[in-house]
Order: sequence, then structure tokens, then C-alpha cells
Amino acid sequence: MPGADAPAGAIYDLGYRTYDGPRLGRRAAVLALYTFTLRGAFGIGRRTSAKIVPLVVAAFAFIPALIQLGVAALLGSRIEIIAPWNYLGYSEVPVALFCAGVAPEIFGRDLRYRTLSLYFSRALLRTDYAVAKTAAFVTALAVLTLGPLLLLTIGNGLASDDLPGYLADHWREFPQSLAAGLVIAAVAGCGSLAIAAHAPRRAYATVGVAAWFLVTLPLAGILVEIGGEVGRFAAWFSPFDLLYGAALAIFGHTPGADSIQARADLPPFTYLLLAAAHLGAAALLILRRFQRVQA
Amino acid sequence: MHVIETAGLTRRFGDVTALDDLTISVPPGVTGLVGANGAGKSTLIRILLGLLPPTSGSARVLGYDVASEGPVLRQFVGYMPEHDCLPGDVSATEFIAHMARVNGLPGDAARERTAETLRHVGLFEERYRDIRGYSTGMKQRVKLAQALVHDPRLLFLDEPTNGLDPAGRDEMLDLVRRTGHEFGISIVMASHLLGEIERVCDQVVVIDGGRLLRQGAIADFTAATGTLVVEVEGDPAALAAALRGAGLRVERDGRHLLLPFEGDAVLDRVRDACADLGLGLVRLERRRQALEDLFRPAPEAVHAGR
Repeated sequence: MPGADAPAGAIYDLGYRTYDGPRLGRRAAVLALYTFTLRGAFGIGRRTSAKIVPLVVAAFAFIPALIQLGVAALLGSRIEIIAPWNYLGYSEVPVALFCAGVAPEIFGRDLRYRTLSLYFSRALLRTDYAVAKTAAFVTALAVLTLGPLLLLTIGNGLASDDLPGYLADHWREFPQSLAAGLVIAAVAGCGSLAIAAHAPRRAYATVGVAAWFLVTLPLAGILVEIGGEVGRFAAWFSPFDLLYGAALAIFGHTPGADSIQARADLPPFTYLLLAAAHLGAAALLILRRFQRVQA
Repeated sequence: MHVIETAGLTRRFGDVTALDDLTISVPPGVTGLVGANGAGKSTLIRILLGLLPPTSGSARVLGYDVASEGPVLRQFVGYMPEHDCLPGDVSATEFIAHMARVNGLPGDAARERTAETLRHVGLFEERYRDIRGYSTGMKQRVKLAQALVHDPRLLFLDEPTNGLDPAGRDEMLDLVRRTGHEFGISIVMASHLLGEIERVCDQVVVIDGGRLLRQGAIADFTAATGTLVVEVEGDPAALAAALRGAGLRVERDGRHLLLPFEGDAVLDRVRDACADLGLGLVRLERRRQALEDLFRPAPEAVHAGR
């Protein structure tokens, strides 16, 4: 680009120019990687076919909330079937699909295309890379796990006849939804990435993540049913049962009589502890993987 | 000041020693890193970038310690790997702008530099298409662009002409030379093709088996030598015999005859010998010592082998 004082009408050699502007260093690098990965998780900046799966699956996660709000608007807000505390029970399939479909791409494309050496030769540490990527996927997943909860909470408030009264009774739902949505996104997200990061191929990663969510679900149900004193701990290790239990603990809600949490009869806070343990283990696996991976 | 200084740099992979107690100092400018495949060129570059920890020894690049000041240092270096490293599912513009941001450039500057750098490497309308559809030549240009987009002070190029056809090779070498000489960016270019190094570099570091073999200005390596190359149409054996008869030491190298250059009289002898034998003289040139000779067995050894 011509300088401001250059005479008009001159022909410029638009060759290589030096850059003397700021270099923002590590934090900017982490932020750039976070943003790029988050956009990529929804296929933004990619061709249309890359957008379809994440966006459609994300939309699925909002459908129960929209149904609840619609029903409440038509029939009066007394009817509450789908609530923030039990929302995971209605959004398991989209959450599992999103994790199985998108998590393998988060690290997989850098490993497959061998882009890691470009990242690691920039102002990043290996840890920074893993943290930025993980945070981006957890954020993307939070759109599915937290978004509908906030939509429900806000929608219910706006639909009520008496907003100040509703707020006085239900204000707790807001921080509780926030906590539950983030815990679910963090545990499910990090767990999926830990599995995907260790899979040599994309297909294995998808199957591995899907198995973690969906194979454990009936397995835990059976073990809790017939396993007696030992079997009931299985409710801690099926991610959806674990996270449903964690949401119950966060909202201070008692589980329904039929639910696996009621049958396992474990103290509610233990679900939060186990969720934290899962999160820690997954984070360690991811960090260790990228400390060791050859770039 | 030296751009690269290593002290006793050693790297082992199991039983294999890729770098063996390498101590070098590289001044600014365009430096060729020469060695056969497996000589340790890529390993050295990867250690200098902090991609690989050394087994022992230390290294400073641009005055920064590689081990302890990596993130700061790497703001000022660019790296073009030997292998494919580009995602296929984004456009060159999108990818280079992202890489510029990871280098710490603010958004506006990243976009501006992306456009400039892609133009500099000669990528125009196609920069908006997904990289997966690019030819090898275009991909190499994008790889160079990502290494240049943040205006590094030092550029590491690992076999930049890999997979290019002769025309693409020429263009890439020209690009590298201009980048080094006109824009004042120091370059370390690894190659096993000595001809490329000769065309682009000011100085050479030769490593072999992970050890420093030689280092110096390119001119020292390619000084004109006392060898005369003769190529004739027809049977060179007759000419060789005639020249030997005239008391010259003649060596046969395929279709060429090599003889020591001892003053202009030798040229006349060759001319006259060709004329007498009725052979067409195709080539009569004083050969510059090529870098290839570094890796050739000494001429005596060649003689002994025959």
C-alpha cells in the first residue's frame, strides 16, 4: 500500500515489506488458536459440507428446550416437563453425536495434516497448544450443554405472568444452569478429546468416543440393577449417568424413583467429585499426549 | 553477532546418533546446510526451533537460548518443514492469516501481511480455494508464505524445492534468494542438492553423520580449479590416447575427458589434437570446483580404484 505522502499516480513496487508492528506473543497465540479451533468446530471458514454436521447436531440440542417453551406458552407455564436440572436426559444424543463427530477433528486434523510442527515452531508451548484446543472444544460443546439451559431459564422467566416474582423464586436456576452446563461440557469435552487424541485414526476416535458415552450407558444400568453393593458404583463411570448425577447435585434435586441415580443410591456430591476426577484424568492424558507427540 | 551458535549439540534416537557433539557458529546471511540424507540437517533445524530437545549440549538462536527462551525466540523465526504440513480443508488466505495471528500479529496486520506475503510468493486468485486442490508447487509456496508472514529475522527452510519440477525449482530458489538478499532476512536452507546451495547461499555448513565437516563462504568452496573438461563428438578414447601421447594426464569421466589445466597451452593442445583426429569439439571448459567434490572420494582414490 502506498504511503500517505506518496505522489498520486505513481506506480508502486508492491514487493515484500518488513513488519515493524507489535508482536503480541504467547497469549495472543493461544487466543488465536482458541478462536480458530472454535470456528472450525462449527465449520466456520470451511466449506459448507463441514458446517452441516456440527450445526444440525447443535440445533438438535435446542429442540427439547424449544418444545418446552412452546408447550408452556400454549398451555400455561405451570407445566414443566423439561427443566434445566433434567435437560441432559433429553439432550444425550446430540451431545454424544457432537462429541463423536467433532472431537476427533480437533486434534486429528493437526496430526493428520502434520500442522503441529508449524504450531510448535511458533510462540507457543506444547501445553499452550493443548489447553487452547481443549478450551475451544469445551466452549463449542457448552453451546449444546449450556445454551439450552440458559434459553429455558430465560424463556421461562419471560413467559411468566409475574417476572419479579419469578426471579425471586427461581434466580438460583441461573447460576445452577451455568455450573451444570459448564461441568457437563468440561467433563464430556475433555473425556472425548482424551480418547480422540490417542486414536490413530479418525474412525477409531469416533467409535471410541461414541462407545464411551453410549456403550457404558446400558452397561451401567445393568450393573446397578444386578451388581448389588459393588455394581452400583457403575453409575459413576458412565459419563451420562455421572453428569446427570452431577447436575442433580448442582440443582439440589432428588433423582426420580426410576432413575439410575436413585437405584444406585450414592451420595449426590460424589457425582461432582467423580466428575472432577474424570476431568483431571482426561486433562492429564491430553497434556501428556502433546508433551510426547513428535512434531 | 551470530544468528546461530551451538555448543556440543548431541541428539541420539535410541542407538542412532543424529547429531554428534556439533559446535557451529553461523553468521547472518543466506546459509546452506548441506549433507546427505540422514546427515542430521532436519534434526539440527528441529532442535534449533525447540521442536526436539537435544540429548546434550546447548544452542542459541538470535541470541536467545533455545531451551529456556523458546516462545520469545520463535516470534522471530520462520520454519518451512520438509514434509507436508498444510490442512487441506481451508483456503490459503484463511490458513496464513491464522498462522500470522498465532505468531502474535494483531488481526488487521495479520490480514494485510497475509495478502502481501501470498502475493510475494506468487499465489493470486487461487488463494481463496481450499488448499487440498493445490499443486505441489502451490503448496510449497504456501509453506514458504506461512514461514514469512510474520517477517521473521531468521528463516529455516528444510528442502524447500522438494517435489518441484525444474521450473518450479528455479522459481522457488529465486524466491529464496530474493527473500534473503533483498529483504535482509537471514536464511538457513537445508538441502542435499549442492547445486541449489551454490545458486542461493553465501556460506555453507557441511555436516555428515551428525558432525561438522566444513564451514565457510561459498566462494571458498567453488574456487576455479585446475581441471579442464573436454567433450567431443565421437570416440573420446582416441583423443585421450593422443593427449596422453602428448604427455598430459588425462582422466576419463564417461563422455568427458578431464585433464589438469596448466596454462593456455593445454587448450591449444586439445584443439590441435581434435583437429588432427577430425573430432568435433563440443565443450572445452575450465571447471569450477563444485560442492559435489566435497562428497566425492579424492581423485587419488578414484585413480586407485581403476
